[in-house]
Amino acid sequence: MFAWLIMPAVLFSIGVYGMLTRRNAVGILISAELAINAAAMNFVIFNRFITPVKVDGQIMSLFIIATAAAEVLIGIAIFVMLFKFRKTTDVTRMNQMKN
Amino acid sequence: MISTAVTTVAFFVFVAIAIAFAVATVTTRRIFRSAVYLMGALTTSAAFYILLGAEFLAGVQILVYVGGIVVLLVFAVMLTSSTELLEDNPSPLRKLVGLVVASIFGTMTMFMFLLTDFRAAGDVKVKQFSDTAAIGRKLLGRGAEGYVLPFEIISLLLLCVVIGAIVIARKTRSAAR
Repeated sequence: MFAWLIMPAVLFSIGVYGMLTRRNAVGILISAELAINAAAMNFVIFNRFITPVKVDGQIMSLFIIATAAAEVLIGIAIFVMLFKFRKTTDVTRMNQMKN
Repeated sequence: MISTAVTTVAFFVFVAIAIAFAVATVTTRRIFRSAVYLMGALTTSAAFYILLGAEFLAGVQILVYVGGIVVLLVFAVMLTSSTELLEDNPSPLRKLVGLVVASIFGTMTMFMFLLTDFRAAGDVKVKQFSDTAAIGRKLLGRGAEGYVLPFEIISLLLLCVVIGAIVIARKTRSAAR
């Protein structure tokens, strides 16, 4: 089972690296999606190897997928409005609270 | 049925492909390509779900995650693209800090996995794990182990999120003046 668990850990670390390094706001959102997907995969792996008779891990992954969709929707709305007012999505240049 | 050798080879091939796509997602300079590489990484993890035996979840992953969320991200890329389509490279200090933090996290997590005794049931392929009817029964079940309340709350959450997104991104009167 440990071999299966390496994969989501590595994907999550790559997602964390992307969240820290990206300069575009949508790029940060994309890296966060990678990390969320790794967490959902973790649930399924634990379900399959520890209690294969129940399907709770898969249901948790379904809820994670739905929540990730909701988060992306709100993030996009915020970034679109931010882009309209600041004319840039560069997060290193967002350093004032009012317009 | 699929033998263990084929499963092992497929596992390593998919690990390599998924890590390649993920690294390409976070290091490419063009945002649109990043979204497409994310699509590849998510499809590879759907292949992982099939290898594990969760076929319904693989289908939902491709339908909702790839077919919905990646399309939303492509919309976001198109709506927020300024004249410079290439993102600047982050400074080497930032890349180094990111690499150090990500590798520390990855090493710590794998260390924890090695140290924990998980009492695993072994690599048995149980028929109940791949049973879609079991997922349906559990998702709509009303007993102590039923998930019907989170199911209804998720639909409310999605409704609120759509309304919130519309309210955030609408043209207010002051902006349209």
